[in-house]
Amino acid sequence: MSSPYFTPSRVFSSAIALRVIFLLYGLLQDAYSPFKYTDIDYMVFTDAARYVSQGLSPYERETYRYTPLLAWILIPTSWPGTFWFSFGKVLFAISDVVAGWFILIILQSPAGGAMTTKRALKYACIWLLNPMVATISTRGSSEGLLAVLVVALLWAVTRRRIVLAGMLLGLSVHLKIYPFIYGASIVWSLESPPDCTPVQKRPTPRTESTERPVSITIILEFFNQSRTILIISSLITFISLNLLMYAIYSTPFLQHTFLYHLTRIDHRHNFSPYNTLLHLSSAAPDKVSSLKLESLAFIPQLAISAVLIPIALSKKDLAGTMLAQTFAFVAFNKVCTSQTRVQLEKRHEGAYE
Amino acid sequence: MDYDAGSQEYIITSFHHESPDLEGWNEEIKCRRNSEKTEVGLFTYQQALEPQELSFEGYLTVIGEDKKPRPTRFSFPSRHHPVPPASGSGFLTTFPKPTGLHPTLRLTFPHGVSPPGHGCALHTYLTLPSSVFVDEYQLSSPNFLAANNLRGVRALSGETDLEAPAWVTGKWGSTMLLELAHHARRQARLETTESQWHVDIPLHLRYLPPAAGGATSVDLPWPIVFWVCPAEEGSDLSGSPFDRINLGYEVLFGPSTIFYHFQPQPKEPRRSLVEQLQVPVMDLPASRWVETGTVGVIILGALWVMWKSLRVSLNDWQSSKKTIPPRKVL
Repeated sequence: MSSPYFTPSRVFSSAIALRVIFLLYGLLQDAYSPFKYTDIDYMVFTDAARYVSQGLSPYERETYRYTPLLAWILIPTSWPGTFWFSFGKVLFAISDVVAGWFILIILQSPAGGAMTTKRALKYACIWLLNPMVATISTRGSSEGLLAVLVVALLWAVTRRRIVLAGMLLGLSVHLKIYPFIYGASIVWSLESPPDCTPVQKRPTPRTESTERPVSITIILEFFNQSRTILIISSLITFISLNLLMYAIYSTPFLQHTFLYHLTRIDHRHNFSPYNTLLHLSSAAPDKVSSLKLESLAFIPQLAISAVLIPIALSKKDLAGTMLAQTFAFVAFNKVCTSQTRVQLEKRHEGAYE
Repeated sequence: MDYDAGSQEYIITSFHHESPDLEGWNEEIKCRRNSEKTEVGLFTYQQALEPQELSFEGYLTVIGEDKKPRPTRFSFPSRHHPVPPASGSGFLTTFPKPTGLHPTLRLTFPHGVSPPGHGCALHTYLTLPSSVFVDEYQLSSPNFLAANNLRGVRALSGETDLEAPAWVTGKWGSTMLLELAHHARRQARLETTESQWHVDIPLHLRYLPPAAGGATSVDLPWPIVFWVCPAEEGSDLSGSPFDRINLGYEVLFGPSTIFYHFQPQPKEPRRSLVEQLQVPVMDLPASRWVETGTVGVIILGALWVMWKSLRVSLNDWQSSKKTIPPRKVL
């Protein structure tokens, strides 16, 4: 299709128009129908933001299980007026469009496939003009925010902006814990460019054995400059954000944002393969063996998504690896709700390389 | 049983809804000691002169003193009344099938109702066991409330956790006071079955413990429906000998409130106003293989993914090995 109408500006205008239409329709449906367009999570976020605007902790709102950063960002939703209440939805919709723009840039860059603008635009359309994606953001789900962070992370890695990538990684993990698996694949993929020196002049590891063992050399060679910078940058961002939040909100922050995910037993609306086992072991603990097998669920999950797949695939195709990781993480997870399945869509986009 | 510390009286009250024999009451009441006063009265309900009063007429005898029963009549302002016929009659409670895990409690009123006085509001009070819960966020949307003939939740207390299964909840249950949006009475000649109207209250069931057969039953008592009206100025409602307090809902209103109760009208006469719901649960005998099955599937799936990844890595390693020998030849 080489239509003169298929330009980036038209695609992006359509994407923005689509989201505006959904936003306005959502306001109509909320006002006149007993079935709400707005996601129940959005009501949780805005309630928490209102508590923060009054100087209280966002954890006053029961079922708020996120970082206080999200409530801070959504403080404008507590200002009077319908537009300000929809500010969060507007922000998430804008994040969607920006994520689409990043997709376009990555696909056009040499490291991301070096596609022509038209071809990259077609792939970006799958995200930008996708009504399901637009609905998720305009309903008030915060997935759009995380999507733009992860795609920006991928862009920063392809441009070798390692410090920025580390900061984005640290921020993403602080927001939702699971992006740490992308850290594993990014670190593994950041190998040093191969030496161009001829074979004879390059010292083999064996000749250096007089100075230090082979294993130490391999480890030191692994931690090249890029990887070290990434690890340090992401750790500093993650730890300083956590320390800041802990200093302000102390134990409830740790409890609701992190520890809750270790002990949650809500098996309603759970589509994961573990759901019946979780129900059974909670309802009839004497009927299952005392091995507590479901608490070992993280072993295959992390072994595959954070170790095996990055090592096998990330040097060949980083974005595809991230998709495979997300898929494996979700498939082997203890809990899989409808929102979890949407996260897979986001990774799918970046993998078209 | 009650104890009045002010007058140092021990009060035992018993209620019977029908006589133990088929032919009425036959009792012999004796005066036990001379120092005790035993008074027997036989009364029947009489239409009161004042609308907010109850009136009784009958005979009163003090055993040992009176030779004949004395005709007596007395009336007193009362907090609780049956609903006047002009303002309503009865109601029916049903759970439209299928109920599943989200039963709807439906109150059916055969005719339109109208307030017995100025400033009255129609309410219902639900007492729910802990296996059932109400989602107050669901009942806070004006459109949803209007569609179900509700005005709003006026009070909700007890076990209101929205996610917990029944084996984790600690409290006995919850209570809820709801204001209803009543439909006005139409003209008398239009009072056919078409003037019947409904109130729908959405309830939710918690996950219940597994049982053989895949189903278990839950008992839900009928709610009560009543008009709440402000009492006339200056009336002392605590003077009634039949006054009942600490019912749970009357503290949610002020002390000067009159309640006009609707009569529950089940379709066929029955001993108790309790509805039984069938609830799907996990079938315990059929779940023998859940644990081994889940673990087996996960292990097989993980092994398959690992094998595929290792094959990819092996192919890469072999193809990288193949490129090296040509360079060594140089």
